[in-house]
Amino acid sequence: MRKYNIKFFEHRKIFFGLSLAILAIGIVFNIIFGTQLDIKFTGGAVIKYSYQGSISQQEVEEIVQNTAKKDAEVCILENAAADKNEENYVSISFSGTDSITIDEQQKIAKELTAKYPNADFQVNESNSVNPTMGRNFFAKCMTAVLLASLLLILYIAIRFKKIGGMSAGVMAVIALIHDVLMVYFTFVIFRMPLNDNFIAVVLTILGYSLNDTIIIYDRIRENRRLMSPKTPLSQLVDTSINQTFSRSINTSICTFTAIATVFVVGQIFGLTSVTSFALPMMIGVMTGCYSSICIAGPLYVMWQNHKASKRLENA
Amino acid sequence: MKRVAKPVFFIVALLILFLTYTATFGIKGQNGDNTTTYIKGVSDIRWGIDINGGVEATFSPETNTKATKEQIDSAKSIIEVRMTSQHITDYELYTDYNNDRIIVRFPWKSEEKTFDPENAIKELSATALLTFREGGEYTTADTGSNGKPVYKTPKGITKDSIILQGKDIKSAKAEMFQDPTSGKTEYQVGLELNDSGTQKFADATERLQDKVISIWMDDVMISSPTVNQVIEDGKCSIQGNFTASEASDLANKITAGALPFKLTTTSFNTINPTLGSSSLRAMAIAGCIAFGLVCIFMLIVFRLPGFVAIIALLGQIGLSFAAVSGYFPFINSFTMTLPGIAGIILSIGMGVDANIITASRIKEELYLGKTIDGAIQKGDDNSFWAIFDGNITVIIVALILMGIFGPTNILSMIFGPSTTGSIYSFGYTLLIGIIGNFVFGVTATRLMTKSISRFKFARKKWLYGGAAE
Repeated sequence: MRKYNIKFFEHRKIFFGLSLAILAIGIVFNIIFGTQLDIKFTGGAVIKYSYQGSISQQEVEEIVQNTAKKDAEVCILENAAADKNEENYVSISFSGTDSITIDEQQKIAKELTAKYPNADFQVNESNSVNPTMGRNFFAKCMTAVLLASLLLILYIAIRFKKIGGMSAGVMAVIALIHDVLMVYFTFVIFRMPLNDNFIAVVLTILGYSLNDTIIIYDRIRENRRLMSPKTPLSQLVDTSINQTFSRSINTSICTFTAIATVFVVGQIFGLTSVTSFALPMMIGVMTGCYSSICIAGPLYVMWQNHKASKRLENA
Repeated sequence: MKRVAKPVFFIVALLILFLTYTATFGIKGQNGDNTTTYIKGVSDIRWGIDINGGVEATFSPETNTKATKEQIDSAKSIIEVRMTSQHITDYELYTDYNNDRIIVRFPWKSEEKTFDPENAIKELSATALLTFREGGEYTTADTGSNGKPVYKTPKGITKDSIILQGKDIKSAKAEMFQDPTSGKTEYQVGLELNDSGTQKFADATERLQDKVISIWMDDVMISSPTVNQVIEDGKCSIQGNFTASEASDLANKITAGALPFKLTTTSFNTINPTLGSSSLRAMAIAGCIAFGLVCIFMLIVFRLPGFVAIIALLGQIGLSFAAVSGYFPFINSFTMTLPGIAGIILSIGMGVDANIITASRIKEELYLGKTIDGAIQKGDDNSFWAIFDGNITVIIVALILMGIFGPTNILSMIFGPSTTGSIYSFGYTLLIGIIGNFVFGVTATRLMTKSISRFKFARKKWLYGGAAE
């Protein structure tokens, strides 16, 4: 049987460096691009039409501005296969956070059809959110994340009493924060606006990553009884991680494969609502596994060693 | 180790295959042209508006002051009448009295050819037109989505003779009264007219003694009482063996016509059905590929326990289907959305975790020199709590997701009710996936592994990940 013997503690600086570097890139992107919130959270309006033939972006923009009296960003997605039967898409995002009315939407469709009689405009999807309702939904989602975090921390506090005490619990929380940041930066770097998918992914990854961490700490506790008390903590932790390594990796491979398939198929079919869910989930599954193995374990050793040396100094 | 008989493997495996097959395809009987569904399969799943296409809209009364509870209720009843008369069964309708909101969501009907969500929203929010008309003649009669008959479009004398309009009515309330003959408590609708309506109604009731005066909302007849006395003072009651809720329902509808206010659409979301159906196909393809890849992985890495894991995984998927389609009579069918399907696929990946933990432990024990039986027993014993631990956090998360995105949720008190978010079904399928993981990945897998290991061909350690002998 293949036995892993990776020295996680010894190489901790590489892992910490890698994580910090990615986080730094994320921060830089965040400063440049800012954080986009979906109109579900801020309020606003988007209409997506399918049409045939070709239209001019500028003209559409003008029509929309003249009819709705609002600035709008028009984005045309022409099908690469220039087949006549293939449909093209145009999305109109109104600037500002105000919703539009049904009448405005109908007027725009009428004007567009008048300008391009052969284009056969069809509303594919339209979304108009009142800003008050958007803020309300945002507040609700944030409360939910807070509530879930509280419950998980409570669970960690109860669970880790047995398997390493407060310090292990704190390290588990650090690993979780690491994962949430990674998921968040995925949204920022790929310029996907934060929406309810983000909340779903963050919560799932919180649960998923915590699993891994708990299983590793559980093994540490088991090995503490089996191995001689003189074994240095770093070796104890490394052994435990290595023993659970194949399970962590195998489960992550399976989960990653499943969600990556969804992402690839979603990408081929051009389903943004699916890909904006699957991509951050893929990243989350990877970082959830990585943080449990490479961050939580070594950090715990560092903390315990630090405490031990303090004790020595005081003695 | 406690011995498990050889046939157990086949019994468990067949039960799992039966569950998965029936949950996928359902059981349907063909009787002439009628198909009777005995057990619901995947084709009976109710799809959410992101797959079926549909409309979600939030209406608020256009009033300067805060709307009363009565106003919101009557606006809700107007929308209900319009929904039922248009045969829309699957609608969700919520009222939020604190924020003056009425939220409605309905899928597009499959038989509908043209997709015109804008008009659908406009029709729902149009000001209600209430009329009292002579006679009760209608053009069409069919069954509404609530199973009751719907009479539409007045004709003949009913069309031409309008006795009262919404503005003539002062109030309508559900009342309780004691039947003088039987002594039973009955419900009725008490009606009070304005000065403008009193004289008109007095004339009409005198003229139409023992005849019908029907009440219409828009194009739909909502009641057709018979006049049994002349109403001179503008106060009367409508009786008709109502239940309490029927009486208040009718009163709400009449009030809605009496207090005509416009509903404005504050938010809306429309999705075209063609967009949704292509996503459904994509997700089905993704699910099959993901399942195939995970199977190949499990077979290569874990061999025999991997094979057992595949059967268990089939059972888990079957359970997920069953839990959303209404397969079990005690679980209502569930509205599935794209994130919900993603949840099923994600739990295909997560679901083998229990098998992986157990199989890894068995492999370890074999390398420590244990016999096959000993290794299986030890692996089972050692892995249970790890599996339990591993799943409990995801259960917490799934419950929270269902709690916040569900229709009535733990945060409703603060934020008001909302329609079911598309994430709700993700939380649900994630939860079912984990329950399935316990049922199939733990219990069924253990029975199958122990039983299959007693066959002669399965006595090689290599099959369990051990070294080749």
